[in-house]
Amino acid sequence: MSRMATQTGLTGKRAKGLAEFRLIPRIETYPAIVSFAQTPLGKGALLAVFGLGVRYFFPDLPSLLTLLLPLALITFFPEYRRFVLAISPIAIVFMQAGSDPVLLGLTLVVIAIGILLYWCAMCWPHSRFGQRPVAFLLTGFTVLIVLAGFAAPQSLPAMILWGLVGVLSSYVWFIAYALTDRNTKPVQELTLELTAFRPLWGSTATPFPKGAAYLRRIEAKSPEQLAVVQLKGLKLLAWAILLAVLQGLWQRFFHGYLRIPTAEQALAMSVHRTPVAWHLCWESLILAFFELVLSISVMGHRIIACCRLAGFNALRNTYRPLSSTTIMEFFNRFYYYFKELLVDLFFYPAFLRYWKGHKRLRMIFATFAAAFFGNGFYHFTRDWQIIQHLGLWKALLNYQTMIFYNAALTAGLCFSQARQRKPKTAGLFRGHIVPVFGVIVFYCLLSVFEISERMYPLVEHLRFFASLFFIHV
Amino acid sequence: MKGRAEIHEFVQELLTRSGDNQPLTDQDSLLLSGRLQSIDAVEIVVFLEENFGIDFAQIGFDRDQIDSIDAIYALVQKSATQN
Repeated sequence: MSRMATQTGLTGKRAKGLAEFRLIPRIETYPAIVSFAQTPLGKGALLAVFGLGVRYFFPDLPSLLTLLLPLALITFFPEYRRFVLAISPIAIVFMQAGSDPVLLGLTLVVIAIGILLYWCAMCWPHSRFGQRPVAFLLTGFTVLIVLAGFAAPQSLPAMILWGLVGVLSSYVWFIAYALTDRNTKPVQELTLELTAFRPLWGSTATPFPKGAAYLRRIEAKSPEQLAVVQLKGLKLLAWAILLAVLQGLWQRFFHGYLRIPTAEQALAMSVHRTPVAWHLCWESLILAFFELVLSISVMGHRIIACCRLAGFNALRNTYRPLSSTTIMEFFNRFYYYFKELLVDLFFYPAFLRYWKGHKRLRMIFATFAAAFFGNGFYHFTRDWQIIQHLGLWKALLNYQTMIFYNAALTAGLCFSQARQRKPKTAGLFRGHIVPVFGVIVFYCLLSVFEISERMYPLVEHLRFFASLFFIHV
Repeated sequence: MKGRAEIHEFVQELLTRSGDNQPLTDQDSLLLSGRLQSIDAVEIVVFLEENFGIDFAQIGFDRDQIDSIDAIYALVQKSATQN
């Protein structure tokens, strides 16, 4: 009996040890390291190690210094954090667009428009604009694209309008977040709002990590908090480098050594009526899914690591996506800040205003507003060069595969939300392994409509999809 | 206090449903800390609408308002005073 108890105890300890095992140690929990990171020597060491690590992603020295110098200032003089972060994006604009006066002028105009809109929303909160500022902003952006489309090609108005569309497309979601901040208490300082406009640590068109109100909540407020957040940033950077190395090895092994085609190649061969074997189609799709997870993880971890070094304890962009047991959970864990953008700017406004008396319809409508309309609008306007090149109508036709993708994703999310209300099945196999497998299969199949989505019409994607199930059309 | 107990019970249920069995205090951050997700925030919104008659379309929605049990209870009290 005692032997059994001892064995059970040992197994329990082993399981606990395994669960607590970390490839990268949790250095932010070691008091000695946290104390050291608060000393001038420790700060210098932390910055040096971070600089060496981040060099992996910034091979050119000027870009590296543009990031590291403000981070060093913030680390040694945290009281000037907001000031440094507020002027850095403007300084970066001058450095990057300084040689192109038109681009510089347009960028400054867009930033000024953003500040003006924010100020108007604050001054007149009960006006039509003050109540729905984001809707006004997005409508204005759409009108600008339509106007640019009508302007005679190569003319001066067309150049200015498309230039404005281009710059605004990279700022529009930052401005939208600033406008939603009008609801937060206390009201944001302008310096913090400027910090969030394409911040120092980098972003895609999606603001990382959200707007100024979020930054205020997650800002380190003491030297100890700053040290902990910075150590977490260093850890995340190490994780990003590890994943980037794995990404390189993955590519070489599967596509180089095993010669499995990429999903783009498999689709292209299907389009040219020389399809690859069915198992290679599946293999290429599964590989593409994992490659996408890896690349989004590396990109997000790098940005959030830099954000944490600046003293903001932001959540990771990608967090254990492969442990998701529902479609909804994967969507949440895979690209967190894009999902948050859709939720904050499309889902909540729709959910809080419409179909209040119809529970299920309300949820479906809000999900449609976010995953179908918001997602579609985001990608359509982000790729504004295609609209400029093809014209509005042809660009919309060219977008058919993405529209189908968004519709399928929305249906999947609605289905997942409906199922989420039911109690979860217990057991490792039925409660975890089967659902995780189902989620991966769903997103693998969905990715058929994401690969080369602008290159071929929807019918070619459907043909490739059908061929996965031995249906040859 | 009845309101606070109801809120606590509801939030605890949401946490349990998402597999979070850690202790919960009234000051704990729910959304900002990542313990609850956006979909759970929606559940809290519906719960407050149905049980306390709060209309977020009228008062404006900010996640800070529902980030902890204390914050939710303050919102409920504020709404009751205004009504």
